[in-house]
Amino acid sequence: MWKYIIKRILIFIPTLIIISLLTFWLSTNAPGDPVEQMLGGIMGSEGRTTDFMATEQAYMEQRKKLGLDLPLFYIALQPLSVPDTFYRIPRKKHQEVLRRLIAQLGNWEYIQAYYLKLKDVQRLLYGLPSQGPFRKYRGKAYELINELFLTYDTMKIGFYTTLLAMTADSFVYEFSKLSMDTNLVGNSERDKAAIEEFKKAVYELRAAYLDMINNPETWKNYIPTIHWYGTKNQYHRWISGFIVGDFGISYVDKRPVAEVIKDAVKWTALINLISVILIYLIAIQAGVYSAVKAGTFQDQVLTVTLYILYSLPNFWIATLLIMFFGGGAYLDWFPAFGVSSLPETAPLWQRIIDVAHHLILPVLALTYPSLAFLAKQMRGAMIQVLKEDYIRTAYAKGLPDKVVIWKHAFRNSLLPIITLFANVFPFMISGSFVIEYIFSIPGMGKESYEAIMSRNYPVVYTVVMLVSILTLVGYLVADILYALVDPRISYSKKK
Amino acid sequence: MQGQANNTEKKNVIQQEKPRTYWYYVKRQFKKNKLAVWALRAVYFLIFIAIFADFIANEKPIVMKYKDKVYFPIFREYLNAFLGVPFPDELRNIPSWRDLQYDWALFPPIPYSPQNIDLYNVLVGPFDEQDVPSWRWRHWLGTDDLGRDVASGLIHATRIALSVGIVSMGIAAIIGILLGSLAGYFGDDTIRASRASIILGTLMLVLGYFYAIEVRKYVLIDSLKESILSFVLQLFISAAIFLGLLFLAWVLARPFRRVKWLGERVFLPMDMLVSRLIEVIVTIPSLFLIVAIVAIAEPSLFLVMAVIGLTGWTGIARFIRAELLRIRNLQYIEAARSLGFPHRRILIRHAIPNALTPVLISIAFGIASAILTESTLSFLGLGVPPDTVTWGSILSLSRKYPESWWLAIFPGSAIFITVTLFNLIGEGLIYALDPRFKR
Repeated sequence: MWKYIIKRILIFIPTLIIISLLTFWLSTNAPGDPVEQMLGGIMGSEGRTTDFMATEQAYMEQRKKLGLDLPLFYIALQPLSVPDTFYRIPRKKHQEVLRRLIAQLGNWEYIQAYYLKLKDVQRLLYGLPSQGPFRKYRGKAYELINELFLTYDTMKIGFYTTLLAMTADSFVYEFSKLSMDTNLVGNSERDKAAIEEFKKAVYELRAAYLDMINNPETWKNYIPTIHWYGTKNQYHRWISGFIVGDFGISYVDKRPVAEVIKDAVKWTALINLISVILIYLIAIQAGVYSAVKAGTFQDQVLTVTLYILYSLPNFWIATLLIMFFGGGAYLDWFPAFGVSSLPETAPLWQRIIDVAHHLILPVLALTYPSLAFLAKQMRGAMIQVLKEDYIRTAYAKGLPDKVVIWKHAFRNSLLPIITLFANVFPFMISGSFVIEYIFSIPGMGKESYEAIMSRNYPVVYTVVMLVSILTLVGYLVADILYALVDPRISYSKKK
Repeated sequence: MQGQANNTEKKNVIQQEKPRTYWYYVKRQFKKNKLAVWALRAVYFLIFIAIFADFIANEKPIVMKYKDKVYFPIFREYLNAFLGVPFPDELRNIPSWRDLQYDWALFPPIPYSPQNIDLYNVLVGPFDEQDVPSWRWRHWLGTDDLGRDVASGLIHATRIALSVGIVSMGIAAIIGILLGSLAGYFGDDTIRASRASIILGTLMLVLGYFYAIEVRKYVLIDSLKESILSFVLQLFISAAIFLGLLFLAWVLARPFRRVKWLGERVFLPMDMLVSRLIEVIVTIPSLFLIVAIVAIAEPSLFLVMAVIGLTGWTGIARFIRAELLRIRNLQYIEAARSLGFPHRRILIRHAIPNALTPVLISIAFGIASAILTESTLSFLGLGVPPDTVTWGSILSLSRKYPESWWLAIFPGSAIFITVTLFNLIGEGLIYALDPRFKR
């Protein structure tokens, strides 16, 4: 037995590794930049060079803090045209655009020159004057530059760079007009230098663009290269943190993920514990009753009721419960949302009653489908067992009905209950997306749903991994219980 | 009298001559279950509604006479959509088909398309007073917050629900049958390959990934944005590159087989590989995975189908695997082997057809749960594009307008009924296929 358990646990490891890789791979393909998500978007057209530099600096620091400046994985299979230091480029959107440019042209040296020049132009933009007539042109140049950062269509790049060159010319023109019309005010010398520099950079950008499209090396896209990055990578950082219990920091509220999960799991575990107890208490009774009375009117009513309950979508029932009993337009018997409406200072028993009042509807919506399913399974298994010879023998011995049913028949029809028991473990912490979403319960289901929607990957990873581990544990426990309940099942090989 | 007797005798003879296939018994057994038979009929009816949704609920008339000419506008719509035949000039850009000056016109039973916005009847219930010209234009099941007809939405959403159920289970069945039969029929001890082929094959897998996926990544992504058809085409090209490279590995491995160590043939543990894969898929919380994938990508119905299919094949694969593990030791397979038939032929012609029936149970329940998953996704506002009306999306509106009971009752009933029908068919199949219930 022990040998079997250890063997099973060892088999868990590759499964978990594959799951962790899959989750990680999904997250790397998600759009959106976590750093931008935490710091807010990119800088507007106003502001000075120092502000721009500060924003970039803050971005880089945050990126380093989250470990996003590391390569993704231990190993990378890339075309020859993609340099092995590509991961160092900040901002996910830029990486995406550059990868697409590489896929079209293959000449990284030229693409890099173009990209660096574009960053130069962006930096110089914030040195330009923004008062009076310049304001409009600066806004226009800002838009064009941002557009260029997101464009990989070479035709469009050509178009935008031309427009940018024209905008730079407009600056020069406006400046000369201004210096003729009025007496020069303030920082004119500096402005002039800035405009000249900006114009030069824009023309160089244009030249870099022409170089880039005129020297394609697409053949480089078809030669695979493998690069080994070692353990300094994002996956390694995350998985080794996970193993020692450091789940990372939530992108949304910057709290440790462990804390976020601890707060949420409290509610989910409470609700699901009540629900599981109810399910087992009622379903076993109902299933056994129905099986013993098989074929009678009571059995038929019960079976049909359970069948209907089982097929009713629980998000529909939850919606209806809120609509008709949750104080919408009809009855106002139960609070519709949340878990509590009293402050922390209220007396304990009042708070317990209040929470119970809030939880009746969600527990109901969560309980009935599983209850119906389990009762159905129970009935089926029990009917099979009741047909067996040993049950007839037990009756013939003159044992009372109760003893026959609960001691002889029930023990032998436990298999479906155990099978479902395997699902209890992950159920305790994963919660239900829909039910918690509908009733606004701050539990794991709602938390992980929101984490997915806001691309809060540290939370998503952690929940997926924890749920997967508990699922595997559930299967193992079920297998052990099988052997305990039914001595005929044995996992050690007989020789 | 005599003739009649003769007739019955003849009938008996004919019946006896007819070979009684396994399917005959399954059908007979299934037909005993009245509820399941009715459920199947009801599903046929749903499929009918889905196919002819355009003729049941549409703003355009089925037939009409307008300016002395007879038109079939719904057929013209099909012509336009599939063959690019343009609409006649006088029927283009019609703001409201209802108010056209017809000589005569035959409208569908529900004269609204799901996208039609009726500004005079916003959020009206079935029993409320409605601002319509006559009973013919009543919104029988009410309207939503934009004034769209709920009945029309439900009918057109039948299409989405059924196609999600059927296509996703189709995908699941293909993957499940393929992998399940590989694992079950070959087990861990049938397929052998030389070490040279395995090493070269693994190498080519990596190269195949590079050339089929990595290099063509953006081609594939862009084609998906363009249309499903071009995506499938690009996918085929990628698959061809992949298979081509594997074939190349097999060819290249030939000379190496002469070397002793490389030429030694070792077993490929098919069953172990597939079982591990199934375990991984089963362990991941599937709704979690589906929501995560759907939330990342652009909303598309095809993606929802594909994702549900890609996560839902494990049940089918397990069924097939278990069946084939049993079948492969039966005598007729042994007989076929000793006749020298290749594995491919035995597997496709003899083994899989006999293992296929239990899969039907899985598919029936799978369709029910796929429809449920899709409506859950659209209830959460995920998956399908926001302007598409589905049962789940109508139901989710009822959360915003709690006094509009019709937005909750009708779509919910539609989901409930459809799911129940498929579950009933599944139950019926269980009984029909279980030898213990055979009488």
